[in-house]
Amino acid sequence: MLLITSVCSGGMAFHGLSFVHSICRPPSLLTSIKALTVAFPTINPRHRLLRRSPFDSAIRALASAAVSTASPVSQEGKVSAKAQWKAAIDFKWIRDNKDVIAANIMNRNSNANLNVVLDLYEKFLNLQKEVERLRAERNIVAEKMRGKIEASVRQALVQEGKNLKEKLASLEEDLVHLTDQLQQEAQCIPNITHPNVPIGGEESSVIRKMVGSPREFTFNIKDHLELGKELDLFDFDAAAEVSGSKFYYLKNEAVLLEMALINWAIAEVSKQGFKPLITPEIVRSSVVEKCGFQPRGQNTQVYSIENSDHCLIGTAEIPVGGIHMDSILLEADLPLKYVAYSHCFRTEAGAAGTASRGLYRVHQFSKVEMFIFCRPEDSNLYHEELIAIEEELFSSLGLHFKTLDMATGDLGAPAYRKFDVEAWMPGLGRFGEISSASNCTDYQSRRLGIRFRPSDASTILKKGKSGNQTPTQFVHTLNATACAIPRMIVCLLENFQEEDGSVVIPEPLRPYMGGLSVISPKAKRI
Amino acid sequence: MSLITSVCSGGMTFHGLSFVHSICRPPSLLTSIKALTVAFPTINPRHRLLRRSPFDSAIRALASAAVSTASPVSQEGKVSAKAQWKAAIDFKWIRDNKDVIAANIMNRNSNANLNVVLDLYEKFLNLQKEVERLRAERNIVAEKMRGKMEASVRQALVQEGKNLKEKLASLEEDLVHLTDQLQQEAQCIPNITHPNVPIGGEESSVIRKTVGSPRELTFNIKDHLELGKELDLFDFDAAAEVSGSKFYYLKNEAVLLEMALINWAIAEVSKQGFKPLITPEIVRSSVVEKCGFQPRGQNTQVYSIENSDHCLIGTAEIPVGGIHMDSILLEADLPLKYVAYSHCFRTEAGAAGTASRGLYRVHQFSKVEMFIFCRPEDSNLYHEELIAIEEELFSSLGLHFKTLDMATGDLGAPAYRKFDVEAWMPGLGRFGEISSASNCTDYQSRRLGIRFRPSDAPTILKKGKSGNQTATQFVHTLNATACAIPRMIVCLLENFQQEDGSVVIPEPLRPYMGGLSVISPKAKRI
Repeated sequence: MLLITSVCSGGMAFHGLSFVHSICRPPSLLTSIKALTVAFPTINPRHRLLRRSPFDSAIRALASAAVSTASPVSQEGKVSAKAQWKAAIDFKWIRDNKDVIAANIMNRNSNANLNVVLDLYEKFLNLQKEVERLRAERNIVAEKMRGKIEASVRQALVQEGKNLKEKLASLEEDLVHLTDQLQQEAQCIPNITHPNVPIGGEESSVIRKMVGSPREFTFNIKDHLELGKELDLFDFDAAAEVSGSKFYYLKNEAVLLEMALINWAIAEVSKQGFKPLITPEIVRSSVVEKCGFQPRGQNTQVYSIENSDHCLIGTAEIPVGGIHMDSILLEADLPLKYVAYSHCFRTEAGAAGTASRGLYRVHQFSKVEMFIFCRPEDSNLYHEELIAIEEELFSSLGLHFKTLDMATGDLGAPAYRKFDVEAWMPGLGRFGEISSASNCTDYQSRRLGIRFRPSDASTILKKGKSGNQTPTQFVHTLNATACAIPRMIVCLLENFQEEDGSVVIPEPLRPYMGGLSVISPKAKRI
Repeated sequence: MSLITSVCSGGMTFHGLSFVHSICRPPSLLTSIKALTVAFPTINPRHRLLRRSPFDSAIRALASAAVSTASPVSQEGKVSAKAQWKAAIDFKWIRDNKDVIAANIMNRNSNANLNVVLDLYEKFLNLQKEVERLRAERNIVAEKMRGKMEASVRQALVQEGKNLKEKLASLEEDLVHLTDQLQQEAQCIPNITHPNVPIGGEESSVIRKTVGSPRELTFNIKDHLELGKELDLFDFDAAAEVSGSKFYYLKNEAVLLEMALINWAIAEVSKQGFKPLITPEIVRSSVVEKCGFQPRGQNTQVYSIENSDHCLIGTAEIPVGGIHMDSILLEADLPLKYVAYSHCFRTEAGAAGTASRGLYRVHQFSKVEMFIFCRPEDSNLYHEELIAIEEELFSSLGLHFKTLDMATGDLGAPAYRKFDVEAWMPGLGRFGEISSASNCTDYQSRRLGIRFRPSDAPTILKKGKSGNQTATQFVHTLNATACAIPRMIVCLLENFQQEDGSVVIPEPLRPYMGGLSVISPKAKRI
């Protein structure tokens, strides 16, 4: 039962900055899942992945360009398991690579059930065959009725046609139902994993880079809450009354600091060729799902709008991913690079612990996010570019941080590979996550329906294709935090505090704060 | 019936920028209202207000400092009409000034029902008296039982006490119910009105000031949508897919322009002594109600969060008003002036028409809002200060605009007086509202429970008060738009367009856009 109610994907990353990517099984499918579940085979983890070049595996990600998002059957008939959209999942590839996928599911601590998927797919194929057979039969009967025939023969044909039609209607309904079940189950299967990703839980993550060293303090340091209180920068108490716990007002210089960080991040990243965006913060639930998040259910991180099919975004990744939904991009336009500013809203269901104090984990925050749509063969390259931009941003602020290649158990379902940045927070006395860069390969684009048509002449070698247009391929998507404001404020206050209780503003931010170089304690009221 | 479901207050200002203030009758009270409704008396509008000095009326607004927010009876027993909070309404003053209030209700096009309120208040007083009588009787019985007495006498007293207790419990329950009904009805009564406010519908509003003149354009002008499309500044189509109609992405220079407007507005207003704030955008529904907005019901402008008692804010006025909820401020700290930046979310239920195109009316937007908490005697003064700041801001951008003293029919329930600014929008071909400044006197503070204790020695002359503390008074609250970003973008694009399709950035904003002085059409892709 626990398997059913918990998230499908690996990475119960409640304690990370990353918004948890997952697709859950809906409770309505409980019965059918129980009926279908068979013993999970033991797989030797050493045989887990075909060690191909990273480019190869990225391109293959549960994938072939030929699969259409359109359902093969009519949408008539009652559908018990509501599936509002279909991911273009390559079931044939899944069937042909089940060992690789089973190992990947295990490595990523996902509760996707591959056997259920395979079983449903088998049933789906048989049913589809049967439906096609009946359709052919019906056509034959219809053909027979064209000429002149005796009344009794006609009568028999009419009856036969009627029987076939009824049987077909019933089977087509079953097929719709089965297709939906198959979708729901298969959507739980996580993206495949980059071969260099370390296998194991979060603790197995590998440090890619370490920048700077912890500052040596010659005085008793304060945490950001204490600093914020003394400098009159936040109000958590009033926010608790007005909104609830984990809400806050920013006051005085904290407002200027937030605005400076947003402006600075947008300016720096757009210098690298990223187009600035400000996004909607209310989106359709289906778009949230297509990005690999679970907007419903008990432990959802997503706020839903009452009496509507809309949600609040937990990250700008969702509306930016959606900006090219259901479209075919020009290859010449790729890569499309965006830097998006939005407010983000998260329920933080299940989050607790000391790291939840103050601004570290809050229900609402501002974030500047990078997002790239690119050709499959370029996504690993752009993943490196994104982490390099992050490292450059945080270095320029003078932070001490490390970059991690996150282990399989910490990856959300859409991620093929994820690099986290953890910065030193002296008040917290440990490293805390301040950003995350993920290559989602075609996981999101297969759900969002974002393709491109390669213009390259050499790619026109598909056999059996009529016309001289090249077939489309799914783009790859990548997302990365440029600046998650509250955690950055924690970092800046705690790292750049002075003995007199003031906080020095890093040089790069000063032009965005009207030249302010230090936040000083206010004169006390007498 | 339409009287019941429509908003209570005057000012169905769906076509204004102002977020509609109103408190509706809950459907659950329908029956009791029908039972109690009597014919509405005809009141001569010329006798509508005691013409006292503005300061006087402001101070008196449905008011006396002695009314407590606490319910006089215990909250035990079932309460059929759910009232989660109580406004400190001065019912005695209402009863003693019913002609003034009736005229005001009529002038403001409010559907508050004064007679129901007066009737309920009468019943409340009688019931309260009866409850007090029974309590006294019960005490007498209890007193009698103290001494030695015969068993039969004691038995009779026990029975009498039991009867009294039961009767009292029943009446106390009725009293709770009646108190709630009275609250719900009385909360519909709009604030009283400044004597200089013109009486009538929106068309009766009086121009206070006109600044500038419409620019003479020697070429065919475009509206902001056309300009935005050609300059690649918005994407409404993608937003319609991802979120729905009236959502949008800002792109490229529009992002810089939004950030510049926010930074500029915060900087300019904080120079005038306003403390910067960034506020929560998810708040408890009760806070929304206490500010005079209606978060539930068919035509609500408010988005609610599913499975919670929370809403999205339609304006920063709500969280800023709430920041001092249920507290007693120091007189020395008044006035408290805030400049708050938030995103605002509005359902725009019922909004339609050509002015709804593009950025003019949208579901989500950024706004910089001014808010003042002050002593009652200062609120008219600060109202003038707020409109002066607005006029200065818009003049410095080179806009052509007029300032209006809005007529009674256009005032939301909380407003004692409201000044709107309407700017010339050449693409729209008319003036469009870009800001609004309201003096809410003590309407919101009586609901939010925000008082101050006058430190002035001469005020210590209240009779019958023990202790030497002065009595508290409710503060006055004022709110005013510093910059509603999308409407300002409409203004800037349409007014400062050039023949070549470019748009000139007003001087004051350039320092906030890295010196950018003009938005030029991008080179077309070949």
